[in-house]
This record gives sequence, C-alpha cells and structure tokens, in this order.
Amino acid sequence: MDALTLELLNGVSLFAILAIVALGLGIVFGLMGVINLAHGEFVMLGAYVAYVVHTVGLNHWLSVPLAAVVLFVLGVVIEVGLIRRIHRQPELTILATFGLSVCLRQIAELVFSKDFQSVPNPVPGATRAFGVLFPTYRYLLIAIAAVVVAATLLAFTRSRFGLVVRAIVADRDLAESAGIRTGMTNLCAFGVGAATAGIAGALVAPLGAVEPQAGLAYLPGAFLVVIVGGYNRLWGVAAGALVVAAVQTGVIHFYDAVWAQIASLALAVLVLQFRRPAPAGAVA
Amino acid sequence: MRLEATDLRSGYGTVPVLHGVSLTVSSGEIVALVGRNGAGKTTLVKTVLGVLRSTGGVLRLDGVDITRMPPSRRARAGLRATFQERALFGALTVGDNLRLSGFGSESHDRVLDAFGPALSGRGSQRTGTLSGGEQKMLAAAIALATDASLLVMDEPTEGLQPSNVALLGDHIESARDAGRGVLLIEQHLELAKRLADRFIVLEKGEVVDSGPAADPDLAARVARRLLI
Repeated sequence: MDALTLELLNGVSLFAILAIVALGLGIVFGLMGVINLAHGEFVMLGAYVAYVVHTVGLNHWLSVPLAAVVLFVLGVVIEVGLIRRIHRQPELTILATFGLSVCLRQIAELVFSKDFQSVPNPVPGATRAFGVLFPTYRYLLIAIAAVVVAATLLAFTRSRFGLVVRAIVADRDLAESAGIRTGMTNLCAFGVGAATAGIAGALVAPLGAVEPQAGLAYLPGAFLVVIVGGYNRLWGVAAGALVVAAVQTGVIHFYDAVWAQIASLALAVLVLQFRRPAPAGAVA
Repeated sequence: MRLEATDLRSGYGTVPVLHGVSLTVSSGEIVALVGRNGAGKTTLVKTVLGVLRSTGGVLRLDGVDITRMPPSRRARAGLRATFQERALFGALTVGDNLRLSGFGSESHDRVLDAFGPALSGRGSQRTGTLSGGEQKMLAAAIALATDASLLVMDEPTEGLQPSNVALLGDHIESARDAGRGVLLIEQHLELAKRLADRFIVLEKGEVVDSGPAADPDLAARVARRLLI
C-alpha cells in the first residue's frame, strides 16, 4: 500500500513538472503555430537562473520569479528578432528554433562551461503524509506548479487577454479585421510561454544537474503532452500531462522507465490516429 | 472619411482576381458594389481590409496610404467590415463577440436589440449555434454599433427574412445619415437600388460601369448585367 502511495505521489510530481514545462509549448504552438524546438533550452536557462541565484548567495525561491522575468524578456527579444518574421511558415520555425536551441546551448557552455552544476535543495528532508515519507521540496514543487498552471489557465480563459487569444486561435484574419493587434498578442504569448519554461527550469534545478544539455531531456515529454492533450485548448495541456504522467508512472511501476517512454510515444501515436483535424486557425 | 482605391490589384497565389480597380467611398454616402458571382467583390473586400495583400495599386484612407497597413490598424483607423462568411467567432459566445468589438456589458442589450427581439438576451449563447440569419443580423448589428467611419458590408442580407432585410436597410440608411460611408456588396438588387447613392459594377475583376443610382439608365444596365 505504501509503495503504491509513493508511486502515486511520484506520478503527481511528474504530472506537475510535465504540465508546467508543456504549458509554454502549448501556448506558443496553439496560438502561433510555432513548433518551438528551443523550449527545452528555455527550461535549461531557467535552471541556470536558479544556479546564479544560488552562487550569489540569494534565496532559491527568488529564482522562480526572476527566471520568469528573465525568460519573458528573452522570449520577447526572440519573438521580435526571429519568430515574428517567419511564424506563418511552420517549416521555417522548426529550422529556426532548432538553430536557436543549438545557439542557446553553446552560449550556456561559453558562459557556464560544460560542467554539471548543482543547486542545493532549499527544503531538504521529507514530510510524512498519506502514510509515507515524501521529499518536502517535491510537495512544494507540486503546489507551485499547480498555482502557476491554474493562474495561466485562468489568465487565458477569464481575462480580456485570454478572450483575444481565443479569438486569434479561432480566426486570425477576422481578429485582425476587428482591430485586434495579433502581433502584440503573439509577442505576449511567446514571452509568457518562455516565462513558464523559465519557472519550470528554476523549480527542477534542485532535482538534477544544471548543465547546457539539460533542456533536451524535457522537450520530448513536453511534446508528447501537447500531442496527447491537444494544442488548441490550454486545459488540454494539463489533461495531457495528467494522462502522460499516469501512463509513465504506471508503466514504471510494473516494468521500467524505458518501457514508460515507449508507452508514452505509443499513446501519442494512438491519439494522433483518432484526432480530428485541427479547426481552421488553430495553427496559423 | 474617404476611402480611395486606385488601380488596385490582388489575387490568390499566382491567380490574379482584381485587375486594377479604382473606386471611392466618402462619408455620408452608400456605394453599392454589384456584380455576378466570381466578379471579385469579396476579393475586393478582403483587399480593402488588408486580409488579402494587394499586388498593385494604392489604397488611401483620408489621403493616407494604407496599402501596406495591417488589418488591425485599418480597423482602428475607422474601417470596419462584415464578411460574407465567417463574420463572427462561432466558438465564442455572443457576449464575447461583442466584447471583442469593444462593447462593455452595459451596451450589449442595445446592440442585441437592434433587430428586435430575435437576439435579445442571447449574450451567453455560443455564436455558432445561432441560425445563419441570426449570425448575419448579429454581425451587422455589431458593425453598425461600432464607431467606425467607414463600413464595408459583404452580402449582409444573405439568408435574412424579408422583414429583417428591410430593417437592416433602415439601419444602413441611418448610418449614412449619421455621416458614415458604406461600401455595400449586395445581390439583393431592390435593396441596393433603395439604399445606394452610387453604383459600381464589377465584372471579371474590373469596374465595367458606375454612376449615380438615380440614373434610370444605369439602374437598367445594372439589372441587365446581373440577369445575363
């Protein structure tokens, strides 16, 4: 029973990480039709923000909002300098963001070296709950990820900005003709997408090594989530993260991590077979 | 406000549709653009609004060159349209469509009551579940209720029942009387004759006839062209 509870808590923790990493990818893909292959590098840079915060002796929790701000600004710069010119040509965005991901990894290497860095766990120890001991930091990570994902979903569904985004996803030309500045909305969306990746990076930094290639580990999982959950509705990303996390946790429990990855990929292929074509405008 | 197209050209990909269209629409007048299916009317609307990029010619709004201006800036400059198809966001509620056009919740009833009780109290309904005629009324009501100085209305009466056609005609006349310019694309010739100050006839992407609507010869020529 305890082992099952522990697996469930691991599954929730995985869900939280997948959801927050995939959220930004879903925003950028759903709204702009941009397949951002540099999204994993945004997570990596968020982790480096946590590393820098640690090395200058500041509190780790400061790195979460700081990573959001730094990555938002970087996202805005990348949108203006690169994405804006090509976002209606999906094949070019794939090539450009792949090139961007390589550049960002090289820059990280130049600045921080190839060495593995670590960020100490700000809340070491475990908390006993549901009859088992589970790392306290992971409980906090789950709570913060839940708040960030819920706040983002609310912002995209309840606010004027969210209404504008849904209008653009539904029909970009009509939105433009109604006076909506789709360019400005794209800018904000790309910035917010990068910011959520930055938050994810800062949160996962104490859980593993901080190094230039770290982002590569998050990209496939995030894409699987977006494929399974759908990219034209943001709650679909959260639902996709839940399904992928459940499948991976379950398969790891009965088999191993390799089979868990294979099962996730098979699930994504299965979903693609049965998914109806995206509505016009869902992908610009 | 004055919209002026000079030698406007556009098309889809490598297929040209408009072959140098010149026209003007000024404040306080209704210009009826008529032509048979495939004449290029909707292409002209899309080009004027900027949804379709022109491949030649110049478009000016009050003397300002807007040929390369994005659609959102044209809309904010006072150019507003109702499209023949996809005039509203079907997946959003009626209220959301009103909000996107800048109407606060206090003014929703005023806009929705423009065509009588048909749309009253439907603010929370998903727009795509309205009938085709109701969607046309809503799109026209929203466009007419905005403060746009120049309205481009592409087949606004298509699918409307006769009483609502007459009512829409009254609203368009009121807009003209309030000093707004209207470019009306209309197959309903009787309504066009009733409303228009001028006629422009489009055929195969070119203006083939134009003049004051009061000219009985022109009205006869227009009728003949549309019947042939």
